[in-house]
Amino acid sequence: MISVKNLYHSYNNDKNYQVKNVSFEVNEGEIFGFLGPSGAGKSTTQNILTGLLRIQKGEAIVAGYNVRDMSKEMFNKIGMSFEQSNVYSKLTAKENLDFYRKLFDVPTRDSIELLKLVGLEGKENIKAGNFSKGMKHRLTFARSMINNPKLWFLDEPTTGLDPSIAANIKSIIKEKNREGVTVFLTTHNMFIADELCDRVAFIVDGEIKLIDSPKNLKLQYGDKLVEVEYVKEGEIITEKLSTVLEKDKKSLQNIISRYEIRTMHTKEATLEEIFIKVTGRGLI
Amino acid sequence: MLKRIWIIFLRDLKVNLKDFLSLYIIIVPIIIAILINIFTPSINDTTINLALLKCENQEMIDYLEQFAHIELFDTVEEVKKRVEKRDNIIGILPEAKKHYIMTQGNEPEVIVEYAKLLKTFYELDIKMDDTNAEIIEFGRKVPPLKKTLVNLSILFISILGGMLITLNIIEEKMDNTISAINLTPTTRLTFLIGKSILGIFFSVFGSIALIFITGFREINILKLLLVILISSILSILLGIVQGLTNDDVMNAAGSVKLLFLPLIGGVLAIEMLGDKWQKFFYWDPFYWAYKGNDLVLSGTGTWSELLIYAGIIFILSVIVYVFIAKSIRKGLE
Repeated sequence: MISVKNLYHSYNNDKNYQVKNVSFEVNEGEIFGFLGPSGAGKSTTQNILTGLLRIQKGEAIVAGYNVRDMSKEMFNKIGMSFEQSNVYSKLTAKENLDFYRKLFDVPTRDSIELLKLVGLEGKENIKAGNFSKGMKHRLTFARSMINNPKLWFLDEPTTGLDPSIAANIKSIIKEKNREGVTVFLTTHNMFIADELCDRVAFIVDGEIKLIDSPKNLKLQYGDKLVEVEYVKEGEIITEKLSTVLEKDKKSLQNIISRYEIRTMHTKEATLEEIFIKVTGRGLI
Repeated sequence: MLKRIWIIFLRDLKVNLKDFLSLYIIIVPIIIAILINIFTPSINDTTINLALLKCENQEMIDYLEQFAHIELFDTVEEVKKRVEKRDNIIGILPEAKKHYIMTQGNEPEVIVEYAKLLKTFYELDIKMDDTNAEIIEFGRKVPPLKKTLVNLSILFISILGGMLITLNIIEEKMDNTISAINLTPTTRLTFLIGKSILGIFFSVFGSIALIFITGFREINILKLLLVILISSILSILLGIVQGLTNDDVMNAAGSVKLLFLPLIGGVLAIEMLGDKWQKFFYWDPFYWAYKGNDLVLSGTGTWSELLIYAGIIFILSVIVYVFIAKSIRKGLE
């Protein structure tokens, strides 16, 4: 669905590239996470792919269209939810969606239905300017679905949302993906990426450091250990045992059968820990 | 493309009709027209007011009505009271077999002299047929001051049309919605045309309303439309570029105000400067627009003359576009 080869971009049109030699492919029907700290080049790459920034060097094919010679018809197939809400503050929520509906050449979704989906039911006749930040974000998210996109760009889709609404947004993303929509998710939130993405790319300083599935990364970079805390003769003892070594496996069985277990955790690495290990950088 | 232009235009219209500043701009042509009518009476009104006694001398009333506004009263006392009011009105009252003139004493001398002449002409039984004056007419049918004000107002309205475009683009910038539009099948040209339609409609309908309210109904509207549409190109271009390069309404309003300089400069050059200075204003599209409008309003402009002016304005607008095209492209990214 997306094919990027040797992409470079410099805002000053010089050799000081904000995106350097970026190459990756996104398969149809997958959720691809583009992860990195602020200023890493995530949004720049995404803006090139959506035509908001002119491509300077490299090749990019999006939804079958070459970005260098982009046809406006491509936008009937793609949707984008921006990190910064961008809706008409002088129009109501419904008027906002109704306006955008008319700009597409493909069948569009009903505005009221979309507002209901993102939890803005009953707010359709309120001006977007009177919305809270989270409500505007949801309206922007709803708008990105209006043309039933086949390829869906999501830039920090849950930023600034409370946990229950964020959970709702995540379930919508999963549902759309089940329906066959390809998702390009840009975020610095590793938990969302871990939960949603089939594959992730780590980008730092404009360069992709790694691309793989969260599962493979955890297997590759996580420690195969279990940390167990138990009570032995009135004393609390903590031990780390390998899940691979036969000796440790027997010890673990022994502890479980003989003592009172207080806590037990696998020492699987989080995506964030892997990111730091791979890139040597934090995510903020 | 046309569908999207229409949708963008309707959105802007809906927003503008709810916005105080835009609404104010939209009704400005009506306000201007009413003010012009109030402060510049038509040429037929350039006369004096006389107060006479009712039923005293009908023949004199009929005679004077040809040359002055006549107010009739029942008694001398009423005439006296009327003359004492603030405006300039002269009383002509009978005394024995003659008439005398009643004034407050502070009326302009020319008005009193005019009243004296009218009274004398009546007494000497001088009629219009007795005149031997030969009239050479320049073909001007409309009052010059009114024509100047209406012409200036038409140009002013076209700048306000540009201002409307600026306001609507700034709204897009403040809400950061241009990027969202760019991710629809709407091309940048479609977007710009859609944004410009309201400014063009405003210039056209505002100017036509102005023309009708101020009484220039006899002029050739098609000729006027030609000049309005061509002179609107510049206002639209500058409205767009101001919208795209400014982030708030106040900054944009300040920048748009700069446009009034070439406008006023062009008008003053034509109205006040001699022929040898005119060439210094040939670069100014408003100079040519004012000249074109003047020909239309006076009913003397031929199509060929107007097409030449329209061509000059168009070429000057294209030159302006060449200079600002980069800013427009950058502003849309």
